[in-house]
Amino acid sequence: MTSPVIEFDQVTFGYGRVPVLREVSLRIGAGEFVAIVGGNGSGKTTLMRLGLGLLAPTHGTVRLFGVPVQDFRDWERIGYVPQRAAAESAVPISVEEVVRTGLAGKLGLVRRPGRAERDRIEHVLDLMGVAGVRRHPVNQLSGGQQQRALIARALVTRPRLLVLDEPTTGVDKQARHVLRESLEHLVHVEGVAVSYISHDPEGFAGLTDRVLEVTAGRVVPVDGTQQHSHQGAS
Amino acid sequence: MSQVIDMFSLGFMQRALVAATVVCAVAPLAGVFIVQRRAALTGDGIGHVAFAGVGLAFLVGVQPLLGALVLTVLAAIALYRMQRAGLGGDLSLALIFYGGIALGFMFASRAGGGVNTVLGFLFGSPLNLTWGRVGAMVALAAVVLVVVLALYGPLVAIAFDEPAARVSGVPVNGLVLTLTLLVSLTVVGGMYAIGLLLVSAMMVIPVAAAAQLAGSYRTTMLAASAIGAGSAVIGLTVAYVADLAPGASIVLTAIACYALAAGVRDLRARRVSAPLSRTVKA
Repeated sequence: MTSPVIEFDQVTFGYGRVPVLREVSLRIGAGEFVAIVGGNGSGKTTLMRLGLGLLAPTHGTVRLFGVPVQDFRDWERIGYVPQRAAAESAVPISVEEVVRTGLAGKLGLVRRPGRAERDRIEHVLDLMGVAGVRRHPVNQLSGGQQQRALIARALVTRPRLLVLDEPTTGVDKQARHVLRESLEHLVHVEGVAVSYISHDPEGFAGLTDRVLEVTAGRVVPVDGTQQHSHQGAS
Repeated sequence: MSQVIDMFSLGFMQRALVAATVVCAVAPLAGVFIVQRRAALTGDGIGHVAFAGVGLAFLVGVQPLLGALVLTVLAAIALYRMQRAGLGGDLSLALIFYGGIALGFMFASRAGGGVNTVLGFLFGSPLNLTWGRVGAMVALAAVVLVVVLALYGPLVAIAFDEPAARVSGVPVNGLVLTLTLLVSLTVVGGMYAIGLLLVSAMMVIPVAAAAQLAGSYRTTMLAASAIGAGSAVIGLTVAYVADLAPGASIVLTAIACYALAAGVRDLRARRVSAPLSRTVKA
């Protein structure tokens, strides 16, 4: 495997006294497309929230690009698309404004986007096929367009790891196809590692390098794909 | 008509117009972020603490503005810490809200004048302003305006999607605290003109009205600010002509703007869907 972009080492986590994940070890390499599946409440979103530093493990270590997540500062290398953020927006926000929010961390508190950043915004709007709806309020778009707008936001800093949480929920078949093509381009042309959380990864069959299932607090490979758990070699 | 023209030549009305217009134009600029974060009642909770601050000021003999400012800043910090400690948004707000009203009543009673002493601050008394107080309100509004403009990008990012903002490296905790402090300054800035109980309405209602018709964050903010300022001018004018309470008149004007905007939006939606339904029937 190439050097890991994200690595879980014996990670255990629970909400209060309720254990969710137990001694999970997992590595995702550069340019890998890994699907993480599991039933509702299995802990797949929790796994990735631990990976992104949004939660702190009870035991064990999470590393991003070799750096413990609590010390990690190079956040522009990470792109994150949480579940259904756009549809719930209480204030109208255009597609272009959504993409621009992806630059907030990179720009710092008061700097405005310069020429290079504006060019990058144009690029990701084109890449994700939402340039034509850039001035539309994102919550008035179809589910597929919303997801592509959010992925464009995640890509605006040129990340090397893209984490998608249930990106096809509420998305029709045609939009899933467009999404699949976009992700294929990201992985194969731009070399972005993708960690894809879904209860139904079938739409991405053939694109994934590995499918891992979160079940009973463990992460196990599905359909003979290679295991990277604490029990097995990576 | 001549009554309205005369109104603008009266010194007390000039001061009221300047103060109310500035406060109502700036309040939605902070309000848009709390509406987006589904914390629209934050201003209301902090307004009740400002009531306690005014009561405390009467008790110890300092300027009401100072008392309100100190207690609301402390409340903003307490609210932020409670929410970050995992206390649910509405529960932490309820603690601030009820704590504020209880303290306010206690301080006002101890101050000797009873609750009547501070009633003017609850509902505003813009017709009794001095230029000194107008200046203080404009200064507080200017601070809110400058901070919102300076931190616009990161504030939009945390309001739209806090987890994604955190992952992209935005200092979310500091910005959430800053936003809560901005709400405090807005509440205190509006207490003379609109009243502590009503100023938070001007953070929320103009935003709700603008959101009916706007297509982007920027246009929502600009439209909300314009609706806020317009509501101040129209509300004060109506209050002057019809001898109504100014703060209430301003807020009711903003609510009328919301109803109008919602009506226009529904009309637009019907016009868009009508040709579609005709096509389906054909």
